[in-house]
Order: sequence, then structure tokens, then C-alpha cells
Amino acid sequence: MNLLSFLSLGLLILLWMAASNGENSFLPSPYEVWMKSVSLSEKPIAEMSMLGHSLESLRRVFIGLLAATIIGIPLGTMIGWNKKFRAIFQPIFEIIRPIPPLAWVPLISIWCGVFEISKYILVFIGTFSAVVVNTYSGVNLANRDNISVGRMFGARGVRLIVDIVFPSALPSIMAGLKTALTTGWGVVLAAEMISAKSGLGMLITRGSDSNDIQLVLVAMILIGIIGALMSTAFTVIERRLSPWRTDLN
Amino acid sequence: MADGFKLNVKNLTKAFVTKKEDTLVIDNISINVKENEFLVLLGPGQCGKTVLLNMIAGLLKPTLGDIYIDNERIKGLDNRVLMVFQKLALLPWLTVTENVQIGMKYAKVPKPERKKIAQNYIDLVGLQGFENSYPHQLSGGMKQRVGIARAYASSPEILLMDEPFGQLDAQTRYAMEEEILKIWEKDKRTIIFVTNNIEEAVYLADRIVLLSKRPATVKNIFDLTSLDRPRNNLSGEFLEIRQEIADQMDLDIG
Repeated sequence: MNLLSFLSLGLLILLWMAASNGENSFLPSPYEVWMKSVSLSEKPIAEMSMLGHSLESLRRVFIGLLAATIIGIPLGTMIGWNKKFRAIFQPIFEIIRPIPPLAWVPLISIWCGVFEISKYILVFIGTFSAVVVNTYSGVNLANRDNISVGRMFGARGVRLIVDIVFPSALPSIMAGLKTALTTGWGVVLAAEMISAKSGLGMLITRGSDSNDIQLVLVAMILIGIIGALMSTAFTVIERRLSPWRTDLN
Repeated sequence: MADGFKLNVKNLTKAFVTKKEDTLVIDNISINVKENEFLVLLGPGQCGKTVLLNMIAGLLKPTLGDIYIDNERIKGLDNRVLMVFQKLALLPWLTVTENVQIGMKYAKVPKPERKKIAQNYIDLVGLQGFENSYPHQLSGGMKQRVGIARAYASSPEILLMDEPFGQLDAQTRYAMEEEILKIWEKDKRTIIFVTNNIEEAVYLADRIVLLSKRPATVKNIFDLTSLDRPRNNLSGEFLEIRQEIADQMDLDIG
């Protein structure tokens, strides 16, 4: 973040102030929203602070994404490495991928009811294909020279995949995880808006139902800030973990 | 069978077959290489030198013909043969020392010994101080030294070098040519070195195998063992042999 970034954020707030300045404004001013967030810290909603609701949403996204990663990376690697696997799984993914995660809500509600697990499943569905598809394209396009080197110097079978193919595919895999994180964040909030007892998405529905636009805006801003922070944190961690990658700087 | 040779390439032929057409790349090549010899395969660009080398390395299956090491037929990859690749092909996520140790790691050499051997070759190629650098932090010449150290450290009997200095600038290239001879004289191995550069071939080789344009056949073999090293590329003898080879060498095809 440099000076220009701060200026542009400041400008956004100024525009917001200007837009909310009318007599019959449909948009609460930044000041009103600020006061609302202060009062929310004194008077929690659903017995939970703003931080509590944020953590609820974060927890759901992480559990869903973790499951998608644990299953998706090995599966994507096998699809990318083995032609038969690819022939079997690729058409399935191509068909499931265009279906928006929220289209699964009715089915999942029938199967799992409105319980916690249904949110995990939705995040899983929303992120799984991004993880798998990026992993298999990364593995499939893994540098042939690296693989030749690995084979020539004695890496075989699982060792070849883990030591040579996987790191070659890492940039693509990480790009997939980053996309999945952003998508998963969107999915969990949408799922919470449909039915949940906690979470930032639930706050939006609550605000909408009780005509409390300030509450809606507080939740929206938190969603934006947390999303941006996650994305930045991801990049920082990625850079730390792979100092050899020239494409990150 | 020709005895007394380290490596025999017998009637090696390679054709690439596609639905549209078959392309003959290597046409019935036989080469015998002596133990600890510095053999240079010289040929015009795109003539199939790399294909030939990849077959000897076991990375590519011959269409016809056989390869023998110590009179024993080899099939595919063999830990007695290692390659220094044209495109460097250092693994970017490994440090210099990890790259150099990779062959020993899969050969299950114990860690302390692995480190010691790696250090020995890193020192030999003059890269002490860069053990923990990543490849992207090194210059082209330094990367090539890592490639040489990596191949040497796995102690192969035969080293294949595929235009290893082709992408270096002229200055670095001369330095590396000198370097590789020094290393080879200190630690003798059988080397098969591929190039399209006549001067480089005459500077380095015990013998030069001159290949034709594609499909590659052996055009001639030049024995340079009588030429003392280090060779002076401006001496009369040097220029004479260089000219003789140039007259016989095919031009690059397109």
C-alpha cells in the first residue's frame, strides 16, 4: 500500500459522504455506520459480537476449504498425471463446474437440514473444482525438463510426483487455492444469508428484515476488509514459503 | 562386438512417427567411445544431436539399434550415464547444494556423506559461498557450473553434455570450456559433448565425430589426441584442422 492507495480509499469515503448527504437519503452516512458499529460492540446481536460473527464465517470457510484442499490436491495430481484418471474425471468436472454453488442449496437443505455441516458442504462445493482444476492443469503442464532431470537422477513413482512434479505445479496450485479462498468467502456469506444463526451473512439478512441499513453496511464493510486481508495474508505467506519463486516479486 | 570400449552405440536409428508423416532423424549411427575419452559430437543445428544424446541417456527409446556400456546392453535409464542439460534444468525450488545432492539422495547416500561430496564438487566448479543460493540468483555461467557439479556428484561413468555452453555469451563460454577441461583432467570420466560450434569442438575434443545434417549419419571422425592441451585457437595446427572440418560440415537446415 502506498500513498495513492490511501488517497483512493479516502476518496471513496468522501464520495460516500457526499452521496449520503441529502435530506431523504437512502444511504446512511459513514458517521452513522461508524456509530452503529460502536453501539453493536455494546449491544451484541444473537449473543455474539461483530468479531464473533466474523470468526464464525471465517471458521466455516476454512473448514470447507481445508476439506476441498485435502481431497482436491491429491485428486487433481492424479488426474493431471494419469491419462486414464483424466479420461474418467475430467468430463465430470467440466459439467459440475458451471453450476453455481448456491444452486446446490435446496438439495443440501434436504440432505443435511439447516445445520452447520450444510455450510461446510457448500463451501466445499464452491471451492473444490478450483483446487482440482488448477492442480491438474499445473501437474499436466509441469516442466518436462524438470521431470527428465528427476527421472535421470533416480526419482521414481511417488518420489517423482512429490519431489519434482508437485513443486513444478506449485504456482498453479497456489493460484487455485487463492481463487478458492475468495470464492469460498463469497459462498459462505451467501449461505449464511439464506439460513444461519450466526455469521456476517446472517447479519445482512437480519438488517434487511428489520430495515436496519446501518447494520447491513457494517457487515458489508467487514466482509470487504476481511476478504482483502485474507488475500494479502495469503500472498505474504506464499512468498515466505517459496523464496525461489521469481513470479511473486 | 568391439571390445575395449566404454560405450558402444550400434546401428542406432530414430524415426518420429506421426499420423501425417514419419520423420527419420537418426540414420544408422554407430560410435565407439573409449574409457575417459572426451568425445565431441559435432553437427549442424537441428541435425538430431540432442535426440542421439537423449537415446544414450535413456530418456528416449531408439527405433532400431542398441547401446552397450562395458559390453553390456542397456535398456533405458542407467545410473552410470548422466546428462548435463542444454537448458540448465536446475530445479528452481532447490538450493545449489540441494540440486547437487539430488542424485545421491535417490541413491540413498547418507546425508553427511552427501553433503561432503556435494561440497567437494561445488568447490571444484568454483561456487563456494553460493551453496544456499537459489538458481534464479545465479548467472548463466554459474548455473551451468551447478549442472556440471550435479552430474559429477552422482559419480556417473559417462557424462553427456548437450550444448551446455550454447546459451552463454562468448566470454563466459571460453572460460567454461577451459573450466570443463580442468575438471575433467582432475576427475576423469568418459564425456560425450554435443555442439554445433567447430572451434569449441576442436578446443575440447580427443576425437570429433562429425554428423551430417538430418537425418544424421556419421560423416567423418577426427582424432585430435596429437594436439597438445591447452590448445591455442590461433595456432596453425588448430586453424588447419578447424578449416578441414568446416569444409566437410553441412550447413544448418533452415
